[in-house]
Amino acid sequence: MKVSAFAQVGYRTFPEDFEHHHDSSVDTPWRLADPREVRAAFRDYLDGLMLAARLGFDGLVFTEHAQASYDMSANPSLTASALAYATESEGIEVAIFPAGRSLGKTREPVRVAEEYAAIDTVSGGRLVAGFPVGLPYDACLNNGIPPIELRPRFDENLELILRAWREDTPFAWNGTFSQLPSVNIWPRPQQRPRPPVWLTGIGNPATIQIALDRDFGFNYFSWFGIKATGPRVFDRFWELVDRQELPRNPYRLGLMQVVGVADSDAEAVRIFKPHVEYLFHKGPGAIKAENLAIPGTISLQGLQALMRDPSDMGIAGKLRTVSFDELVDMGSVIIGSPSTVLERIVEVVRRHHVGNLHVMLQFGSMPRHAAADNIGLFAASVLPTLRGLWTDEPWEHHWWPGRLGGRPVPEAASVRAARGGR
Amino acid sequence: MSPPLDVRQRALGVWGGRITLRVKTAGRGAPLVYLHPASGLQFDPFLESLGTEYSIYAPEIPGTSAGDPHAIHEVDTLSDLVLIYEEAITQLELPEPPVVIGQSFGGMLAAELASYFPRLFKKVVLCDPIGLWRPDLPIANWMTTPAPQLPALLFKNPDCAAAQATFAPPPDPALAPIVLASFVWALGCTGKFVWPIPEKGLHKRLHRLTAPTMIVWGEDDALVPAAYAKEFGAAIAGSRVEIVRDAGHIPQAEQMETTLALVRDFLSA
Repeated sequence: MKVSAFAQVGYRTFPEDFEHHHDSSVDTPWRLADPREVRAAFRDYLDGLMLAARLGFDGLVFTEHAQASYDMSANPSLTASALAYATESEGIEVAIFPAGRSLGKTREPVRVAEEYAAIDTVSGGRLVAGFPVGLPYDACLNNGIPPIELRPRFDENLELILRAWREDTPFAWNGTFSQLPSVNIWPRPQQRPRPPVWLTGIGNPATIQIALDRDFGFNYFSWFGIKATGPRVFDRFWELVDRQELPRNPYRLGLMQVVGVADSDAEAVRIFKPHVEYLFHKGPGAIKAENLAIPGTISLQGLQALMRDPSDMGIAGKLRTVSFDELVDMGSVIIGSPSTVLERIVEVVRRHHVGNLHVMLQFGSMPRHAAADNIGLFAASVLPTLRGLWTDEPWEHHWWPGRLGGRPVPEAASVRAARGGR
Repeated sequence: MSPPLDVRQRALGVWGGRITLRVKTAGRGAPLVYLHPASGLQFDPFLESLGTEYSIYAPEIPGTSAGDPHAIHEVDTLSDLVLIYEEAITQLELPEPPVVIGQSFGGMLAAELASYFPRLFKKVVLCDPIGLWRPDLPIANWMTTPAPQLPALLFKNPDCAAAQATFAPPPDPALAPIVLASFVWALGCTGKFVWPIPEKGLHKRLHRLTAPTMIVWGEDDALVPAAYAKEFGAAIAGSRVEIVRDAGHIPQAEQMETTLALVRDFLSA
């Protein structure tokens, strides 16, 4: 299994009652922030990811959320370029995996193609290119995208970026959202025909279907409680794989999981409970529901399905006040001794056939040293065993850079295979 | 109380055949085009009353008609929508130019149509239209307003009978998800043309609106402040401005008799 370190750059020193008065995105008052704390948060975020790289994690995963206090990574290409250079200069063989630039949000898709190509170039072919549709608040409120255009823009921008990477000669693009007389980006990515592409979703079958049709990897995040949502989203994923008669290759699938590990279960609870509560109550939990479900972003069919059965959303509706115990019980977080953590993770990834685990080890209000301890203990006592998962089965990783041991399939062949069986 | 109107539907092929625009029709009399608000078309008591004197033609924004949600993806811009509506109104082959009444989003659309095509309508009634923007008079974002706060956004008195009727759940609870989903989707469809700021250059075009126009506004409109009535009035030469007391964003629902009297008076003058 590929085990990556996942991080967001959250503000860590809000007052205890923050979530009762404020939201964590769109209109969070800047007056609450101490610029020195913001600077420290960025430094510790990057240092934590670099520590993980040095300790042997397979990849570094991070996200895009603008005008958000829980993740001040307004453009993940910035994080990616810093990490690409730093790891290359230290000679660390680690994937640079922005999970990534939102293609429903961006108004400059060619710039996204260029940024990723530059990151792939600086890193010498270690980019894993994540493209989420984007969260409604970020795309529609922060960037003014009409909600009903979120998915059509994602579709068009994805086509444009893949073509900009692929074509050898300049081409004109006459799209609905971009008109460009000559697309001819410099540089093109190092990885040919393209870097591995990953989508991140919350269970919408349409997004899963695109991943399968185009031979992309698919990421899912554990926020909403994997115990409730895992059997729905992942079982749906594998049903769609079966329906297309594709191989049940676990490397198609990625799971982001919050993890806290310490010497004993009791010690882990003592250390991580406040940071877990801070993470959920003042982070994803403090996003206004109405800013996450803006009319137009979900199709009529999707709305009807969600209103009949909202179970895909798990505990999403109560993250602002959810208890630590419930987060543990629902699998939103895994907290414990190395053996407890290992046991729970193996249970989840075996059950859902997950070949890529993105572990969030620095989160919430964790100070620098606590994050470093968590990353260090995980790397020493959990990571080695996890890495051995799936190696006894004959799968090749087609969604990982070739330089890092992946076996990418040429794009045309993979699309043909996805569409027409073999 | 007159018996409920017999509402029929006409399906018009427009936009080069790419869209089938549904027009609900009811009543008998001179032609009246009604343009619905952002949440979609409802035949409310106001329209029922007008149906006793007018033949009502109420087109539905593409995407909001039952069974055809994807039609919205055939319309890219507000000017596309204006052209589509002009095609549809022309196709109706009405015996004389119709009058138009537009509510909120529909008010903006009526003003756009009458500005693009100054001879399309005989008279124009705009009820609490969106379409203008003053930085000192922000318009609430109805698309991100939580459902429990909508009655207070739309009505001066959220407990009034009209408000209760507007937000009453369907009699069959099994239909609730369908009705709610359609409501949300309609907001998404109409939002395509006004997001994120409901001002798309109408102020540059309003001087072209030369048909006799009445602007009606609920005095206590919490969504689009009544101060905008003056803005519309100043921009449309010769227009009449009427402020309805004790009403919010939908005066024809909250003060139906008063609004009906104003509309009848204006249209029959």
